[in-house]
This record gives sequence, structure tokens and C-alpha cells, in this order.
Amino acid sequence: MERLKFTGKRLIYLAVMLFGVATLVFILTKMIPGDPTVANLSQRALNDPEVVAAYKAKYGLDQPIFVQYVLYIKNLLQFDLGTSIRTNKPVLSELARCYPATIELALFAILLAAVFGILFGVISAIRRNSILDQLVRAVSVTGVSIPSFWFALLVLYFFYYKMHIFPGPGRLSNSFSAPATVTGMYVLDSLLEGNLPKALDALSHLILPGTVLAAFTMGLITRTTRSNLLDVMSTDYIRTARAKGLSRTRLILSHALGNALIPVLTVIGLGLGNLLGGMVLVETIFNWPGVGQFAYESVLSADFPSIIGVALLIALNYMIINTVVDILYGVIDPRVRCR
Amino acid sequence: MKKRFLAIALSLVMAAGCVACGGGTDNASEGGSGSAEGTEGAAGTSEGGSGTVVVAMGAGFSTLDPGYVYEKYPPLIVNACYENLFKFYDNEGAPEPCLADTYEFSEDNLTLTVKLKDGITFASGNTMTSADVLFSINRCKNLQGNPAFIADTIQSMEAPDEKTIVFHLTQPDSAILSKLTYSALAVLDSAVVKEHGGTDAEDASTTDTAQAYLDTASAGSGMYVMTSYIPDEEVVLEKNPNYWGEATNVDKYIIKIQPDANTQMMTLSTGDIDVALNMTDDTMAELSGAEGVEIINAATKTVGFVMMNMNETYGGPVSNPKVQQAIRKALDYSGMQIICGEGTLTPYSVIQSGFMGSKGERAAEYTNVEEAKALLAEAGYADGLDVDLTVSDLDMEGILLTDLAQKIKDDLSQIGINVNIVSQPWAAGYGDAYRDGTLGFTVMYWGTDYNDPNVQLEFLPGGVVGLRAGWTAEMAPELAAMYQETMSATDNNDRTAVLEKIQDAMYEDGPFIMAVQAPAHIGYNTRLEGVAISDPYALDVTLINIK
Repeated sequence: MERLKFTGKRLIYLAVMLFGVATLVFILTKMIPGDPTVANLSQRALNDPEVVAAYKAKYGLDQPIFVQYVLYIKNLLQFDLGTSIRTNKPVLSELARCYPATIELALFAILLAAVFGILFGVISAIRRNSILDQLVRAVSVTGVSIPSFWFALLVLYFFYYKMHIFPGPGRLSNSFSAPATVTGMYVLDSLLEGNLPKALDALSHLILPGTVLAAFTMGLITRTTRSNLLDVMSTDYIRTARAKGLSRTRLILSHALGNALIPVLTVIGLGLGNLLGGMVLVETIFNWPGVGQFAYESVLSADFPSIIGVALLIALNYMIINTVVDILYGVIDPRVRCR
Repeated sequence: MKKRFLAIALSLVMAAGCVACGGGTDNASEGGSGSAEGTEGAAGTSEGGSGTVVVAMGAGFSTLDPGYVYEKYPPLIVNACYENLFKFYDNEGAPEPCLADTYEFSEDNLTLTVKLKDGITFASGNTMTSADVLFSINRCKNLQGNPAFIADTIQSMEAPDEKTIVFHLTQPDSAILSKLTYSALAVLDSAVVKEHGGTDAEDASTTDTAQAYLDTASAGSGMYVMTSYIPDEEVVLEKNPNYWGEATNVDKYIIKIQPDANTQMMTLSTGDIDVALNMTDDTMAELSGAEGVEIINAATKTVGFVMMNMNETYGGPVSNPKVQQAIRKALDYSGMQIICGEGTLTPYSVIQSGFMGSKGERAAEYTNVEEAKALLAEAGYADGLDVDLTVSDLDMEGILLTDLAQKIKDDLSQIGINVNIVSQPWAAGYGDAYRDGTLGFTVMYWGTDYNDPNVQLEFLPGGVVGLRAGWTAEMAPELAAMYQETMSATDNNDRTAVLEKIQDAMYEDGPFIMAVQAPAHIGYNTRLEGVAISDPYALDVTLINIK
């Protein structure tokens, strides 16, 4: 019963937040200067009042803003995000097209970031002030500070262009055609097709952009893991456990790491939310047709329905991730469950 | 125990590294042999004698429905999958019959009669008739999309028989053959398009629903058919099995969307792509001397121009003809060419080099700072003047207009004109002001809507762009009258004569300075022949063969 109440509360909270985000983004997009007609019609077409009128009527731009808002909210309640002014396709189907590419890359990147971030953080903490610790700290600072577009060009230049170790931009090599869309994630869809070489090819294309995207979050995770583990290691219960003769490995894995990971989960959650919003520059350099590129093109075209669609998607990402992180807190630390 | 834990951790790191490298190696081996799914595609040189060619283009697009296309790259695909009555087989040549067999103008130049070639079939197997031509052109007109203007001078059409189309024009139009080459007037398989919701009725703008289909498949008679389109990622074209003409030896094209020039350079060098359409000067330098790669640097017909409003309310001092002449004399055209990159040139006047009737290039010696200062003094500004130069966030073939604005500011400072650059986004004010003719002094670009010198007539007094500079027909009636004169000159020699008169008249006078013709930089694999810059199609893939 408690759990149902908790879930219900969360869902209502989610709906209210989404409504607020939709309203806020709608108002903001209407307030900022930018005319979709000028952005999308050619110079010739803009001189033809008939063409301009037909265009405005088609996208409801000839209606008063309040009417546009009411229509928008009404459609939103029916899960209709409107039609993209740039591509003339439903925004929902456009997001469904480009979101899986972003999810695939974001999940890969966060997995890399979490695995290596925690590993490096632990190594750094248990070898505190050693050369290894200094090295790990230097790597994590670099990861946090390096501009992603520059890092992207750098890894592409060396590992693809010069050394031919990893495949180049895009989601698949030219020798493969895109798998039939089931999830939209090429690795998974290729496996569902039963085509292992294609799945491995898709996986190999994730490595460079995934590493670039992982760098920032990995740096944060490493630093957070290290500092929290050091804090936990100096607590009384760890000292007691050590006095009882527990081995260092058992001490860390069974007693210290669990508690140290709670703040790390928050960092991972925020990092994933950030990655799921799409990364314009990295997506551009690696020809990754994800949400970032879609958002960028939409902004350039003053494609308001798409901009609002992307904003809602990003808000939804954070809300879902925060909910999952809240639940995971309870899994890791029973005290949170009790509260 | 401590050491064991560290060893486990390090092993994990190494294992992850090996998995990562394994992915790459796996891919490389597949690219090299094309074994797993070799028939699915090819990767440029890595596949040797493969019949597949991979092309990278710099931007995605909003639609591939010919009735709506107006962006830069869709014509590449439309030209591969569809055909028009006429076509440009040479970038600097005149339109030649493609689907048309013969054509004839009436004596008053108000009627054009076109006969279709025999035996033309669509990819569906349907035979092309004059009804298909009528449907396609009427649909484009009635959709009222961006390219609808192209059919403005077509008053009506009729099809007396299955092979004949009669165009009735609103006025003599010397550019009508060029207009009929435009992608938006490509001939569609009307049966297939109607089957998917297409209509050419007057209310097509609200009732036609074929765009969704034409964005995923083609319905033309071209050398290729579109078999796959993943927006913002790639388009796949495969040979049309029912092609009526003589096809090249390229079986398949994979058109990749690669916005970044560095990425295009790297993928071309490694053989992952065969043609890179959007190189820059820097990336071309990296490719210079590279084995197996050829480069082309040449001017497009996209022109960057300075506009000085003739209306004093907006133009202020730059509305003064003497100040305009001074600015024209002060600009360093050679320096602008260096900024824009190899292949850039400065047209003699309003008609770009490469167009029929063009008088070529403006001589580098035209720039003369002393003469410019004298002209400025004559205009009453011996001590110089201050002026705002408004510039948008747009780029011209990859060259930022703000870069040109900086150069103009620098050049004009030499004669005492103090330029204050005012930036304004295109979609947030600049576009409206430009269209309304309220910008006083600006630098802008003009991409040709269709490949014909008549597009430049809009710069004449009273023309669309002329009015944006406050230049009304009454201000220069003789020059304005040349608009109609050019439109009526269906004979090429007559048209060339009028176009030359226009260029001379605007060489030193008027509110426009045609500063640069932007370059295109194309890199391609030497296994190909027939790769060339194409203004109408970006790249004419139907002329490319594998050696």
C-alpha cells in the first residue's frame, strides 16, 4: 500500500512537472525572437503572400498565441506533440527516430564512465597519495576539463585516421545496411536480426564517441568515489571492522564501497540525464543522428513544436532517472528505505 | 591481498581495452573483405572494384518530395532518381533536352511546345506520358511550397496527345528551359504518387498527402531508385532496373550526411567515402598530395554581395551614389578571395562568371584607395564617416558572413569610413528587415534559385532584391526596362547582348557590389571519373563512372 501511494505520488508529480515544463517552454519559445516562416521559407517564397499564408495556416501560426497554446496542451494530452515545421512529420515520430541512437550511445558512455570511474576511484583511494593516485587524479581532472568537441576530433584523428584502430564516424560500416528497426538501437537490433558481425560492427562504432562522452562523467565519478571512499574508510565502524581482522578487500567491497557509492549514484544519474539530452558537437563530429543534432537543427529552423518536444523529453529523462536513483538509494542503503 | 586486488583491477582495465580494440579490428577486416554482407554495400577503395560509391554531403534536408525541394542537397538525389524535360549536362552550358525530344517556341514566345522521347518508362514499369508531366508541374504549383515560384510564368498547360505538352506562358520567358530543369519540376510517376495520396488539384496545398511516401521512396524515371533513407544519416540509391537510357557503371550510391569538414577529410583519406562535397581550405591542404585523392577548387554561382540602401532614411550616407562608388573602389577583392579560399573569384558585375552572357571577372587592379578617398571627398565626406554594417549569422557555402563583414570594416577604415558591425540573427529580425528593405548597409549572399542568368535580374531596380535596397524602377527606368527585355530574349545571342548592357550599367553604379563568388571544395577518390562541381545538382551522380 505504501509503495502504491509512493508510486502514485511520483506519477502525479511527474505529470505536473511535465505540464509546467511544457507551458514554460511554450512561453519561452514564443518570447524569443525568431520567425519560423522566415527561417523555413526561401527568399523567393517569402515574397509570395499566398505561399506565406498557406504556410502559416498549415502550422497554425496564423492563430493567436493563446489559441496556439490551448491547442498545444489539448494535443499534448492526447500524446500528440504536433508536427515538425522543418520536416513536416509528427514530432513524436521524429523523436522516436533519433532518440534510440542517443540512448544507445548514452548507455554505452555511462557504462564506460561508471565502470572505469568507480574502478579508478577505488584504486585512487586505496593507494592514496601514491603515484598511481596522482595519475588517476590527473586523468580525472583532464576528463572533466577537456572540451568534448576537441577531444572528439583528437580521438578521431589518432585512433581512426592515423592509426586505423577504430572505425570512423557513423553507426555502421558501409558494408552493412541498417538493421530492421525494432528498438532503433543498432547493436540490439542486429542481435535480434541474428547478425552477430553487424552487432559487433555497431558496437565498435560506439567506442570512440562513447569514450569521448564518458570522459567528463568518468572524471566526476572517479573524484566522487575517491573522496567518499576515503571518508567512509575513516569512520568508526570501518575501524571496528578492521580491528576484528577483516581483510582489506572484504572491508572495502562489503562494508565501505556500498556506503561510498550513494553520492556516486547521483553523479551517474545526472550524467546519464545529461547524455540522454544529446550532445550536439560530438554527434556532429561522429555523424551520430541523435537528439542533439535534431535539437540543433530545430533551433536553427525555429521549429517550435520540435524544440518543445525535445525539452519535454529531456525533462522526462531527468524525472525518470531521479526516480530510479531514489529507488536505488534504498537498494544500496537500507536506512533510506526505512525513511 | 592488496597486490591481488590491484592485479584484478588492472586486468579488468586491460580486458576492457582488448574488447574495444577487438571491435575495431573486426570492423577493419570486414571493411577490407566485404565478406559478411559484401553485397549490401561497399566502402570506397577498401572494396577495390566494387560498384558502390559513397558520397558525403554536409547537411541533411527537410524533404525529398520534388514538389517541395528547395534546399541545396536534395537536387543531388532528385536528379539521380527523377528526370526533367531538360537538364544541365555541363555546369556552364545551356539546358539540353533530357526527357524532351524536340521543343519549339511560338513566334510571340508565349507558347512552348515540347515533344517527349519515345520509350520512357518509370522505375515502376509505367510508361511516361504527357499527363505525368502536367501532373508533376501542376502539383508543384498548387502545393504552394518553397519552389512554387519556379512555375510562375506558366499560365496553363495542355496535353494534346500522349507525347506532347504545350506550355502557355504569362509572358515571354527566356529562362523557361532552365526553369524546367529545376528539381521541383521533375516528372513524377503520377499513378504511383496518386496511389499514395498525391494530387495536382488547386487545393493540393491542403489535400496532397504524398510527401510522407516521397520522403521514403522515389517515383521517377531516373537512373537510380531510392531504396533507403534514414534522415540525417544516409540515403541509399540503387540502379533502376527499368531505366530507359544508358546507365553508368555505378550500381549503388550511399549518400552519407557528414556535417563536419574534418570528418569528411578523414573518411575520404581512409577510403570510407569516395566523394567529399564539403571540404574547406584547411582540410584541402591536409589532402594535398595524398595518394588516390583528387581535389577540385572552383567557384560556385553563390555570390556574396554588399548592399547599400538607396533610401536615405535607411541608408544614410551610403545611399549617396558617390559614397557607393567610393566603397566599391576601396574594397580589397583579392583579400576577400583569400578569406573565402582557393577557387573564389570576383564577378565583373551582377552576372556571375559561368553564366551565359557573363563578362567574367572584375580585375584585381580595380581597387584603388586614393580614388576611393577622392570620391568620398566629392560626396562631401572628406573627413570620413561612421556607418553601421548589419550582418546575419548565416554562412555562404561555409564562409561566415561575419568574416566578410570584418574584412569590409578593415578595408573601409583605409578611406576613413568607420564601420560598426551590428550582428542580428537571420530568423530573429534580420530576415524581416532584409525583406522589408529597411537595412541600410549589409553584406549578404544570394544562391541561385535556378541555373540561369535571369535569376540575377532581381537585382535590377524594381526587382525583388533591388527593392530591398530601396532601388525602385523609377530611379533607373532604362535599367529597369532591361528586365523585360532580357525575359523576352529567347534567342541566346540577343539575351547575351542585353545581359552585357546590364553588367556594364551596374559595374560602377548602383546599390550592389558583387564581392565574391564562393568556392566549392570537392575531394574524390581517383578510382572515379566524371566528378565535377555542379551548381544545379551539387554533384551530378549520373555522370560519374568507376574507372
